[in-house]
Amino acid sequence: MRPILLQGHERSLTQIKYNADGDLIFSCSKDHRINVWYSHNGERLGTYDGHNGTIWTVDVDSESRFLISGSADNMMKLWEVKTGKCLYTWEFPTAIKRVAFSEDDNYIACITEQRMGYQGAIRIFQINRKGDGKDQSKEPNFMFHPIESKATVLAFSATSDQLVTGHESGKLTLYNTKTGEEVVSNKRAHREVVTDIQMSPDRSYFITSSKDKSAKLYDTKTLDELKSYTTETPLNSAAIAPGRPYILLGGGQEAMNVTTTSARQGKFETRFWHKIFEEEVGRVKGHFGPINTIAVHPAGTSYASGGEDGFIRVHHFDESYFRARPYGDMEPEEE
Amino acid sequence: EDAAQESNVSAELIQARKRAINEWNAWRARVKSETPAKKKTAKKLEEEKEEAVELIDELIDETVEILD
Repeated sequence: MRPILLQGHERSLTQIKYNADGDLIFSCSKDHRINVWYSHNGERLGTYDGHNGTIWTVDVDSESRFLISGSADNMMKLWEVKTGKCLYTWEFPTAIKRVAFSEDDNYIACITEQRMGYQGAIRIFQINRKGDGKDQSKEPNFMFHPIESKATVLAFSATSDQLVTGHESGKLTLYNTKTGEEVVSNKRAHREVVTDIQMSPDRSYFITSSKDKSAKLYDTKTLDELKSYTTETPLNSAAIAPGRPYILLGGGQEAMNVTTTSARQGKFETRFWHKIFEEEVGRVKGHFGPINTIAVHPAGTSYASGGEDGFIRVHHFDESYFRARPYGDMEPEEE
Repeated sequence: EDAAQESNVSAELIQARKRAINEWNAWRARVKSETPAKKKTAKKLEEEKEEAVELIDELIDETVEILD
């Protein structure tokens, strides 16, 4: 499993996404850049230029037609994937920390930062997919303000009328996107800030990661905890591997808390855990700083990790990964 | 004795894993039965139509070859 190093970012990575076909990887960074790469060989295909601040978040629709990005420059931008052209820009009073497309591509949701004088907000925009994509509405269809603790991450459930948010307090909330009402919430999902949320392929469950050093699997309908994975390091990202019963975790102590030798050796690891048995099954070393974001190919054939070190490492799983049965015939029935 | 104890522990672990797998499978089955069949997007339907047309074209080509 020799990694491909994607070189092109000058500062730490903030989010990585594969497109639905898995042939492209989108990455965003504190260097104000969004890059798109071929996943099979790591060649850079292009950039999306226009933001003027850290780009915190990026997402691509299921047709690989539109890309959405959110930045510390208080702007959210809609891009044409193929040409790299910016189609529309929304401007907000504060930074955009997270964006996500709905499953049907018709909506995007975003979280804006809480700042003096401004409450943190979640806004839902309907995307006009007709024509050239430049005709978008300035105003959101729905907007609401999470109470008690600010939202840090979000993801739509299987339908566009519900979304799950993770909060600074460790809380998870399922919102009705049309009313802003809490459908259900789990106040003790994590003990510290929720750093990532990624849906299973059918969006019936999802994984969260937290600075409390754990990752957990939740039922999207009830927010009941299904599984829990406890590590010894703060986690920044968690992903579900399709096809095999594994989950991938990334994080690590900030450089100042680590001895320089271990940092120099590229010891920051992606951890593989068995999704159902809640046991660690392996680690992949490589990054020179904490891992900020992990994404798995939608067919489960490769994964990409983005680090504080400014590198993206793409690992194509070899045959032994798919063949290995570390627990004999004890395998879940599907995926 | 140690070996016996060890095998006991691992037997327990194996039972726990079996239970975990069964629980997971049961939960997945329940979720599937509760989820309505996914609606296909207009684009996907269109693509399927196009594929069907291509398939017919190929079949026709083959028929011609056989006749020749």
